[in-house]
Amino acid sequence: MKIGREYFKQAAGIWSLLIANLKFKIGFSIVVVIALLGIIGPFVTPDPLTYHWDESGLPPLTLGHLLGTTAPWGQDVFAQLCTGIRNSLFVGILGGGIGTLIAVLVGTLGPYKGGIADDIANFTTNIVMVFPVYPALLVLSAAVPKEGRSVLLVATLIALTSWPWAARTIRSQVLSLKEREFVNLAKLSGMSSRSIVLREVLPNMMAYVTMVFVLLMGGAMLAETGISLLGVGPIPQFHITLGSMLYNCMSNPVASWREMWWWYIPPGVVLTILLSAIFVMHSGMDEVFNPKLRRV
Amino acid sequence: MKYYGFDKSPLEQYITFWQNLLRGDLGVSISLFPGNSVVSIVGSRIPYTLELVIPVLIISFLLGNWIGAKAAYIGGKLSNFIYFLSVFSNRLPSFWFGMVLVYLLAIRFHIFPPYGYQTLEIRPMLWWDISTWNPTAFLDKLRYFCLPFISLFIVYLGGWATGMRAMVIHELDSGYIRYAEALGFRKNKVQSYAQRNAILPQFTGLNLYLNALIGETTVVETVFGWPGVGRLMYQSVVSQDYSVIFGSFLVVMIVVVVGNFIIDVLYGLVDPRIRIGGRA
Repeated sequence: MKIGREYFKQAAGIWSLLIANLKFKIGFSIVVVIALLGIIGPFVTPDPLTYHWDESGLPPLTLGHLLGTTAPWGQDVFAQLCTGIRNSLFVGILGGGIGTLIAVLVGTLGPYKGGIADDIANFTTNIVMVFPVYPALLVLSAAVPKEGRSVLLVATLIALTSWPWAARTIRSQVLSLKEREFVNLAKLSGMSSRSIVLREVLPNMMAYVTMVFVLLMGGAMLAETGISLLGVGPIPQFHITLGSMLYNCMSNPVASWREMWWWYIPPGVVLTILLSAIFVMHSGMDEVFNPKLRRV
Repeated sequence: MKYYGFDKSPLEQYITFWQNLLRGDLGVSISLFPGNSVVSIVGSRIPYTLELVIPVLIISFLLGNWIGAKAAYIGGKLSNFIYFLSVFSNRLPSFWFGMVLVYLLAIRFHIFPPYGYQTLEIRPMLWWDISTWNPTAFLDKLRYFCLPFISLFIVYLGGWATGMRAMVIHELDSGYIRYAEALGFRKNKVQSYAQRNAILPQFTGLNLYLNALIGETTVVETVFGWPGVGRLMYQSVVSQDYSVIFGSFLVVMIVVVVGNFIIDVLYGLVDPRIRIGGRA
């Protein structure tokens, strides 16, 4: 309980600092607007998966279809976009969350256990770091039977390939924090190394871990779009994500995908704006947490 | 079944696999190119991937760093504008950007061909292959090369420019630059000092960018039908050709590791402090 309160106090302090920063405010509000589109949108738009053969391939701004409809199936593109945002954000939060968790575990375990554990942690980090993300995901998702590829599974797979650089930076943060006086004091007062990590080191890294999470979240959404475009993401017939919209459009045998710009341009625009907003948010956080940068 | 060794127990198959791997034999393709050895299939595709990756990496590195440095010197509104532009372009998903380029430049205005890597009648040619080099094939290839190149290039250009701008601003603020300015050095001289120090972290970034670039090329190659390792991998995943999937993944890893090694050696060339040998 006490640990929980410490983290909460930290978080509240961080928040009041952040919201005063202009870059963070801009980025955060764009993310919120897009997230609202994804959260509220699916409730007010028609079902994105139902076929309407009579409304196939309508261009944008037709009555009732803000962004037109898809080609042979006649699904509403705007409805798909809203559901896609929701699922992609889900992948982002989940993939980013799991990735951050792994990174924190590997990054703190190494310096604190030392010896063989540290060697293994470093070795694993270096190995996974060399994996190029898309080929690795392609192989991993291909190894899973098609029926099993849910949004959850894809998010986990993305998390499994995205954590190494984060683990490395967290490790170096831990190494520098470890030498500070307050940690030495905690050690002298007889705290176990587990509670030193949980109560002294990690609360002081909260800001940094949040930044890592934000970046990993953006990366997870981009990776999901990439592998969905190749058709090895969540099953595109049941799970609409921003990437599976691109895939459905591209693998479309009826209408040439190249002509139907209203189908594949919106998901990309939304994704680009979302990723840029996340980056601006991240650099705003950087300015707040890193006093050296504040003036630039 | 006997040919692929599927009649043996999994353990036996696994041991044979390693024995063959150590001899440089990755087995034969199962469904895509039945009977062809994986090494020859993957080997014939690597040059096409490198042909795309190497120009993107080198040109975006040079131009991006130049733009970033210039943006840092001029300062003010224009600099901020370049910053936002480069952040935005770095966040573009390259494969989607490629699709948009196809729509605009190939479908709307017929400037570039939308798909493929070579007109059928013309004999395939690689950039560096002097024996088959001829102007017609070169120009033809250039037309096909442009769209996938641009879609990757713009994205990485933004990345380098963002990083370089931040690094040069950081360096311009440091003591030795202030001192040089106080001594009345020419502006060009001061800037070249700042630039030389700012480029070092960028070189470290080259490793990360190479990994990301090779990954993204997989998707971009599929969008454009570029016959590299990435597209091969995609095809073999679709047709469940496990030996080819594994072989191409292994080759991609080897390319990344060798690339990283070359970059590390280059880093020694640009930064005299880390040269091995301990003469310092």
